[in-house]
Amino acid sequence: MTARSPETIVSIEGLRKCFGQVEILRGVDLKVGKGEAVVIVGSSGSGKSTCLRCINRLEEPTAGTIRVGGQEITGPKVDLNLLRRRIGMVFQGIHLYPHKTALGNVTLALRKVVGLSEEAAETKARHHLEVVGLAHKADSYPAQLSGGQQQRVGIARAMALEPQVMLFDEPTSALDPELVGEVLNVMVRTKEMGMTMIVVTHEMKFARDVADRVVFMDHGAILAEGTPQEILVDPQHPRIRDFVMRSHG
Amino acid sequence: MDQIVRYFFDFSLMSSFWPDILRGFLITVEMSTLTILIGIPLGLLLAILRLYRLRPLNWLIIFYIDFFRSIPQLVLIVLAYFALPYFGLVLEPITATVLALAIVLSAFAEEIFWAGMNAVPKGQWEAGRSTGLSFTKTLAYIILPQVVRMSIPPLTNRAIGISKGTTLGSVVAVPELLNVTSSIQSNVANPTALTVGALLFLLLFLPFVRFTRWLEHAYAHPRS
Amino acid sequence: MGDLVTTFLNIDVLSQVWPLLLQGFWMTLGLAAVAVPLSVLTGIAIAMAQDVPSKLLRFFLIAYVDVMRAIPPLVLLIFIFFGLPFLGLKLNEFTAAVLALTLNGSSYFAEIFRAGIESVPKGQREAARSTGLSWYKSMIYVVVPQGTRNVLPDLISNTVELVKQTSIASAVALQELLRSAQLAQGLLYNPTPLIAAAIVYFLMFWPFVRLVSRLQNRTAMSAA
Repeated sequence: MTARSPETIVSIEGLRKCFGQVEILRGVDLKVGKGEAVVIVGSSGSGKSTCLRCINRLEEPTAGTIRVGGQEITGPKVDLNLLRRRIGMVFQGIHLYPHKTALGNVTLALRKVVGLSEEAAETKARHHLEVVGLAHKADSYPAQLSGGQQQRVGIARAMALEPQVMLFDEPTSALDPELVGEVLNVMVRTKEMGMTMIVVTHEMKFARDVADRVVFMDHGAILAEGTPQEILVDPQHPRIRDFVMRSHG
Repeated sequence: MDQIVRYFFDFSLMSSFWPDILRGFLITVEMSTLTILIGIPLGLLLAILRLYRLRPLNWLIIFYIDFFRSIPQLVLIVLAYFALPYFGLVLEPITATVLALAIVLSAFAEEIFWAGMNAVPKGQWEAGRSTGLSFTKTLAYIILPQVVRMSIPPLTNRAIGISKGTTLGSVVAVPELLNVTSSIQSNVANPTALTVGALLFLLLFLPFVRFTRWLEHAYAHPRS
Repeated sequence: MGDLVTTFLNIDVLSQVWPLLLQGFWMTLGLAAVAVPLSVLTGIAIAMAQDVPSKLLRFFLIAYVDVMRAIPPLVLLIFIFFGLPFLGLKLNEFTAAVLALTLNGSSYFAEIFRAGIESVPKGQREAARSTGLSWYKSMIYVVVPQGTRNVLPDLISNTVELVKQTSIASAVALQELLRSAQLAQGLLYNPTPLIAAAIVYFLMFWPFVRLVSRLQNRTAMSAA
């Protein structure tokens, strides 16, 4: 367990989510401290992505309370747009805007949400593209970039808003294996920069090497959480042992 | 408010006119039906002819479809009724209207069928021919069914749009529904007839519009 | 042959009436210049508005679209121009025509834009909203630009239809191109003005009709 996390950035209490009759999340409790990298693992259908997407309310929780940066975000009168400026999300499907260049993808929210001038937005965008190693591709369109490059732009797009927490929803699952590494490297760099991160992934090596804490979810609830050592290297619970044996990397 | 009722919904005023209105409605239905029965098969025929890729015939077909999609329908109706007599071809107003509309529909239908034919993968042709089916048989049993299925949504949409053009026949004095209700309105100085006409048009076309909506939904969410 | 020319392509007649035709041409363009932008903007608004969670509002939006697609535009025009004065609302020919064309045109544009919006992957909207863009801004900057690109052939095709439809204004004696040609023909008992008008219409629209065919065949083939 991480000792004395200074500030809780994300706090989830009793999160439940139903899709019609099906209960996907059955009461999830989780706290993520500032600068922590929490990796959520589990088999498909365990509710990992749904849990993540509730944090920026792309999915609406059925019950429970979520706090981001101390502010309760599950209440009725929450300004979602303001909230989402503080939370960055990286998608499995990447979803870069095809009609804009890499630079355009990053500057759109800076101009239209934060309200920066064109020059200020461009400067900031170029800086973040530099951080992910794609400053030289600023004027390329997504179709001209590889999957790994696209996802790195996706990370820059989210980071440019300087959020309090970054959510990664299986960021490399849709990529060809050779392209996964470059994205994981950027994610490591993001952690080193001190960003609070919650990552849903199947990349076990990444989880072992980078996570401060690993959370194992099963059938909509957290089965166990602990250090990578406790959960992935030497798992106690038989289900988790099964899972780790079946996963590679 | 009761001004609206008095002027637009005074159905009692219409009592002596219902026979005329009904007759007008039937003529509208007749013209729309004829337009579709002539236009769509004609369009399909043209698309099939185009498939044979005979250069001079193709140029003709392409000119035909471009021309009749570029000229407004009303202009064609007026031309058919007023200009053709100079060629010695005097048409009844109703014939001129149906002829013009059917030809326009055939031009749009041809393009829809043609797009459908291009969308069927080449492999379908190869599969058919490689099992010994002739060009015509492959076309009839393998290609056309797929083309027709694909074409139904845009075709119904276009067919509705063009059969609404039967109202343009009123300009050349065809006693269709709009013409009849329009005359009644000016005779009794009360636009209830227009309301009745509008409602009857809705009765005729709204089901088809709803049907196209259902079709588009069914095509987008096929039950595989 | 010479007879044909003197009847249908009479230079003499043409030289007398071309100012009249030119006036008509500008009026047609004028109608289009007002009706097309209005229809497009209204159509986009209706298409975007169908995102609202309110089932009631969505019902009214779809009802508007379907009713306006079912009623022939000429019926709308007659109703507006001859019926509304009874309520004290007397619009001039130009305004009545623009209103009728816009009511009809906006419903078709709404359907096309809606299809365009729905063709954009859901992930695009999520990505945009996840960066804090409001519903409206993510529509305007991310969804609608992509959606429009996807339905461009239909948009062009519909715009052409709308401009062609300006000819119905002739029915309320607005002096657009068709009406001018009819007047000229009545004055000089010669169909040359009608032919000239048809040629002008053809020249106006044919490039776009050809373009739409090209675009549609290209998408059909790339989808195959």
